[in-house]
Amino acid sequence: MFILPLVAILLGIEFSLVFNRVTHDYEEKLKANYSILVVSKRAISNEEFFSIDPQIADPKPIKKGSIAKEIAKNIGSVSTKEVLKSLPYFYTIHLSNYLSSEEVEHIRKKLLAYSYIKKVETFGESHSSKYNLFIFLKVIFWVFVSLISLVSIFLIIKQMEVWQMAHKERMQIMEVFGASVMLRSGVLFRMGIIDAIISTIISAGLFAGIKYKWADESGIDLLIEKKDILFTTQDLIMMIGVALVIVIIAVIIVTFSNREIRE
Amino acid sequence: MSNVISASNLTLAYDNGKKEVIKNANFQVKKGEFVFITGPSGSGKSTLLKSLYGAIKPTDGSLIVGGLDLNHISKRKLQELRSHMGIIFQDYKLINEWTVAKNVVLPLIIAGYSTDIQQTQAQKLLRHVKLTEQANRYPLELSGGEQQRVGVARALSKNPFLILADEPTGNLDEYSSSVIWDLMENACVQLGATVVVVTHRIPHIFNTPHRRLIIENRGIYEVH
Repeated sequence: MFILPLVAILLGIEFSLVFNRVTHDYEEKLKANYSILVVSKRAISNEEFFSIDPQIADPKPIKKGSIAKEIAKNIGSVSTKEVLKSLPYFYTIHLSNYLSSEEVEHIRKKLLAYSYIKKVETFGESHSSKYNLFIFLKVIFWVFVSLISLVSIFLIIKQMEVWQMAHKERMQIMEVFGASVMLRSGVLFRMGIIDAIISTIISAGLFAGIKYKWADESGIDLLIEKKDILFTTQDLIMMIGVALVIVIIAVIIVTFSNREIRE
Repeated sequence: MSNVISASNLTLAYDNGKKEVIKNANFQVKKGEFVFITGPSGSGKSTLLKSLYGAIKPTDGSLIVGGLDLNHISKRKLQELRSHMGIIFQDYKLINEWTVAKNVVLPLIIAGYSTDIQQTQAQKLLRHVKLTEQANRYPLELSGGEQQRVGVARALSKNPFLILADEPTGNLDEYSSSVIWDLMENACVQLGATVVVVTHRIPHIFNTPHRRLIIENRGIYEVH
């Protein structure tokens, strides 16, 4: 039976697809919520920012009016206009990707290399802890999926050996009596295709259950809000496709390794 | 009468031509003949038989079976040729997961005959080999003699033009052996099939003498 290793592989693939979608979504959120503060002696255009580093995205000037008003009120003898003139320019910039702390630091240094940029605040500590946790989760997940895949491949090879032993004699006898490859391996193809369909139903059923039942009950905002990332029709098509490709390759290998009767 | 088998300067070898078992052999088998091929153990009898159904290709010379040159035969043609042959093995080579009736009609299944024809033919053949009662049993539930009768029935199921048998009674007692020889002789006489039997010991049960070939020192010779 190919079902167990196939289910393991399909679950591994589906988990990685879902994980990728979840992490991508999370990354987008982190990226949107993260910004760098730039303080400059003169105004900087968007093009100038983009030319400093292509990872810089969406630079926005911070309005200084309220700050100037507050300062002018405290000093008394100075007008808001004068304060505004003497204040530097403040900008918030975003990043096009969720970068590592080292990469953020590299951008900070690049910005500071321009003499008119006086200060760059990257809020490094908060970024670094979020980024490290994010990367740690990704690594743990991929190690887990790789191990499952490795064990599944091993199980598939074992199952192929079992098939080889169980069907060798029958296939060789049929070959001697003039049966074509398709006729000889017909039983294996049938068994393989049934296993592929059952494995897909089990794996898809599990994820459909998570999507339509467990997600609502879980109380996890991300899963409730974005149920679509859990399981899609494309995932189902891909699962059946992968399962069929695996069993067809396995059957072809078994068929062509069983040749002629050797006394 | 036309030749069903024709070998000229036939050389058969193992290990990429290094180990020759038959060298420059010449012989013909005519349609409807019953021929024994004998020789000591390891003389190359089974190798010769395998070459007759295309499991081993000649290393040199030519081997023509049923009008087809086995040196230059496509896979498809070889499958077709085999589907018109009946092959009997010493160890029966039955499919143990299939019933006796299904085993008997294996050549018909391969040829794509309808289930009705398969069933009719299975009943007829099992009656012929006196195994009607065992139709729905499995090979491992039968005695050696019964299993070989199933093997013979399978070989006869598609009215083959050529029956090849490799030590068909090698594992059987005297009584079972005589039943098998009777069935094979009947196939030759009644169906007009050509029968080639490889055996190290020729049975004494035959009333009429059959043609004999012997393999000695890598050659194939006529025994008079």
